Amino acid sequence: MADHTKTEQPVHRNEALHRKIAIKEERKYHNVSFIMMILLTLIAFYAIWSDKVSSSFAILFILVLAVIQVFFQLYIWMHLSHKGHDFPLWGMISGILIAAITVAGIAGLIWTS
Amino acid sequence: MSTLASHSKKSGLMDWLTTVDHKKIGILYLVAGGLFFIIGGIEAMFMRIQLFKPENDFVSADMFNQLLTMHGTTMIFFAAMPLIFAFMNAVVPLQIGARDVAFPFVNALGFWLFFFGGVMLNASWLLGGAPDAGWTGYAPLSTTSLGSGVDFYVLGLQISGAGTLIGGINFLVTIINMRAPGMSFMRMPLFTWTSFVTSGLILFAFPPLTIGLFMLMFERVFDANFFNPDNGGNILIWEHIFWIFGHPEVYILILPSFGAISEVVSTFSKKRLFGYSAMVFATVLIGFLGFMVWVHHMFTAGLGPIANSIFAVATMAIAVPTGVKIFNWLFTMWGGKIVFSTAMLWAVGFIPTFVMGGVTGVMLAIPSADYQFHDSYFVVAHFHYVIVGGVVLGLFAGLYYWYPRMFNRVLNETLGKIHFWTFFIGFHLTFFPQHFLGLMGMPRRVFTYLSGQDLDDLNLISTVGALLMAVGTIVLFINVIISTSKKYAPSEDPWNGRTLEWAIPFPTPEYNFAQTPLVRGLDPFWLEKMAGNKKMTPAEPVGDIHMPNGSILPLFMSIGLFVAAFGAIYKSILVGVIGLAITFLCMFLRSVIDDHGYHIHKKEVEEDMKEGRS
Amino acid sequence: METNQRLTDDHFPENPEKATLDGKNKFLGFWLFLGGETVLFATLFAVYIGLRDNHMDGPSAKELFQLPTVFLATMLLLTSSLTSVYAVLALKQNKVKSMIGWFLVTLLLGLGFLGLEVYEFIEYVHEGHTFTKSAFSSSFYTLVGFHGGHVLFGCLWLVTLLLRNWNRGITLTNAPKYYLFALYWHFVDVVWVFIFTVVYLMGKVG
Repeated sequence: MADHTKTEQPVHRNEALHRKIAIKEERKYHNVSFIMMILLTLIAFYAIWSDKVSSSFAILFILVLAVIQVFFQLYIWMHLSHKGHDFPLWGMISGILIAAITVAGIAGLIWTS
Repeated sequence: MSTLASHSKKSGLMDWLTTVDHKKIGILYLVAGGLFFIIGGIEAMFMRIQLFKPENDFVSADMFNQLLTMHGTTMIFFAAMPLIFAFMNAVVPLQIGARDVAFPFVNALGFWLFFFGGVMLNASWLLGGAPDAGWTGYAPLSTTSLGSGVDFYVLGLQISGAGTLIGGINFLVTIINMRAPGMSFMRMPLFTWTSFVTSGLILFAFPPLTIGLFMLMFERVFDANFFNPDNGGNILIWEHIFWIFGHPEVYILILPSFGAISEVVSTFSKKRLFGYSAMVFATVLIGFLGFMVWVHHMFTAGLGPIANSIFAVATMAIAVPTGVKIFNWLFTMWGGKIVFSTAMLWAVGFIPTFVMGGVTGVMLAIPSADYQFHDSYFVVAHFHYVIVGGVVLGLFAGLYYWYPRMFNRVLNETLGKIHFWTFFIGFHLTFFPQHFLGLMGMPRRVFTYLSGQDLDDLNLISTVGALLMAVGTIVLFINVIISTSKKYAPSEDPWNGRTLEWAIPFPTPEYNFAQTPLVRGLDPFWLEKMAGNKKMTPAEPVGDIHMPNGSILPLFMSIGLFVAAFGAIYKSILVGVIGLAITFLCMFLRSVIDDHGYHIHKKEVEEDMKEGRS
Repeated sequence: METNQRLTDDHFPENPEKATLDGKNKFLGFWLFLGGETVLFATLFAVYIGLRDNHMDGPSAKELFQLPTVFLATMLLLTSSLTSVYAVLALKQNKVKSMIGWFLVTLLLGLGFLGLEVYEFIEYVHEGHTFTKSAFSSSFYTLVGFHGGHVLFGCLWLVTLLLRNWNRGITLTNAPKYYLFALYWHFVDVVWVFIFTVVYLMGKVG
């Protein structure tokens, strides 16, 4: 069972070309998202370093930047947007949801009384 | 085409130690879980004997603390969990028409980790005293507890928790990727569905426990300050983390029991399950809500009215999907041709018992009332009604139902009914009076009480009930021993089953299905029988079947962690390093030695089919 | 078809990591594991956020953290995430040498990150920020240390993987393993994004 493979047929030349183009495209996406992530990191560090942004706004701001950066990681670098990632996506969404509840619950409720 | 690695049949003990076959691992889980069930039961009996009269001195207060801690921890983690995994292993791959689970090696590793975790915990009895901080291990009780009992608790749970986590992932992948053609999600039997949701809960609930146990260990071994208010810590953190894990944990336990009950009720009413899609939806919803209610264990911790109200409402909301399930079971029986076999008796007994546990659950979900009930015997009565009256009754129903599939024997029905009635009556005798003991003010986890407070009679009744439950359990073991006689070999399809696990002969061939079956609807085997077919329609021609090789590595990986845990408890770096070295060496061997398994040849399969063995 | 045979360009599947059932299972199982890891780190973050202001008589986050070191560490890890993506792209084109090369760069960057972290921890201990000092220090070292442990494990994993498959090309057996490692490495970087944001940057703001 485990050795059923789809490699019996040789790869068609046309398909090989298609793949090459797709990979080239993908490389471009990866490079762009790398530059974006560097930029996001720089902005986050600058916002804190420069001391020019009020601290309550800065915290919200850098958290949003972090979320955007993670979105790049998950969707572009880890390919969550690709076909055949339905269950991984479900797994991650559930995990993130429960993670959010956990953080809100523990961090929010221990000093209230 | 084929990679026929030489494979020699191992015999006896070696076969059990190296097996990666889900059917055998299921039996291992059942036997080990049964063993820990007895140990936990004996601990419970000691407590009930201590409490049968006021100011008894059968055990000391200190010993009583150890007994109640070990009873709870053992029953939850080392009896109920493995028994659930036993049925998941024995049944789920068969129900979805698969030849094995997705990761057979990991499956074996999961079992051995659980087993050595359990041995670790129980070793504390012989090594200076068991943990005594309750199964919940609240700080600062657990952080300041003297001796090394709590260290055994932490490391035993850590090791077995890792096993449970990988087991959960394994079943998720198995159910998603390994279903037979035609077995869509909405055609999966309810037991498979509940196993699926339970595995998802395991995946997300066990990581917080892992972290909580690490923190507790750091606190005890390295003087960390998470729970130490003197250095800025906060004891509530432990309670939150424990219950973020702990509440989903009780749904992890109950859902597979719901699944087993669904199968049994449907089979013995000769009707398809009423409201199948509502049942699936209710299962998923219970799983989801399970993560939103943990604060109801902490109403009296003083989190304030807003937090308490939100979690109270969320808790009560769970009664809705659970109620849906109860009604669907009743409607499945309604108008059915009910056969009151032993399995069905357990299922029918389960329904009112679990409803009672649910009702007291809603009572406890009212924060203002909870201030009265909290830490009293009312709570003890409540959770025994849902865990014994729910989980255990469901597991017994599953045991009588699937025993033929697992052991190629049926259990004696007369003895089974004696078991049911003694256990069932004993259960209500034990725990029903505890509701009133709690309302009368008897606190839980206290080793004795004074006379003249009207607590004497009810406690005596409770102890008599516990004895009756013990008698019932002994009857079960007699039944198991008797079943080994040849007389009890099952006929093909002993219950006139509806799902795929009954479509194969006894004993189950090692490869489960000679040809992967084609599934044409819900209750696939029943559909084929109604269409006049004796067997499932195959979805593939007969061919070579790939099988995984057995391996001794899972056992040694677990032994390595077991040894390392002793190093951590006795602060011996050498022992710790040796243990971890064993584990990492095994992991290294596993990754460098290619193991592609072997093939059972087409000819062998054809021969089996001709002789009716598959 | 042998699954541990070196794949040739003519027979190269589009997604070699998911070409076998075994590969598909590993792929899904590992993603689900990462979902669980998300909750694991969330618990650590929650504890840290709850306790980070309680530094008692030790140094506070604002006094302690050195942003230049953190920035450098961030750049190392972020770049290593990119190089592991390049390795996966090479994997999908059956370019073995290029793949091994990019993975080696990833390894070096990972080790550089670990070196910086060790240096940073030593500095902090000198400034009185020991593990047992306060609730803040305990939760800081546990959270950041857990992440560092993940980086270390990743490095060991990668070394084993590369050594074992050095001369074997890309096969249907090792392709999923390489792919899983890359996923793991990205995830470790995801966690770091939140660590530098929540621990270091928010620590500076107070």
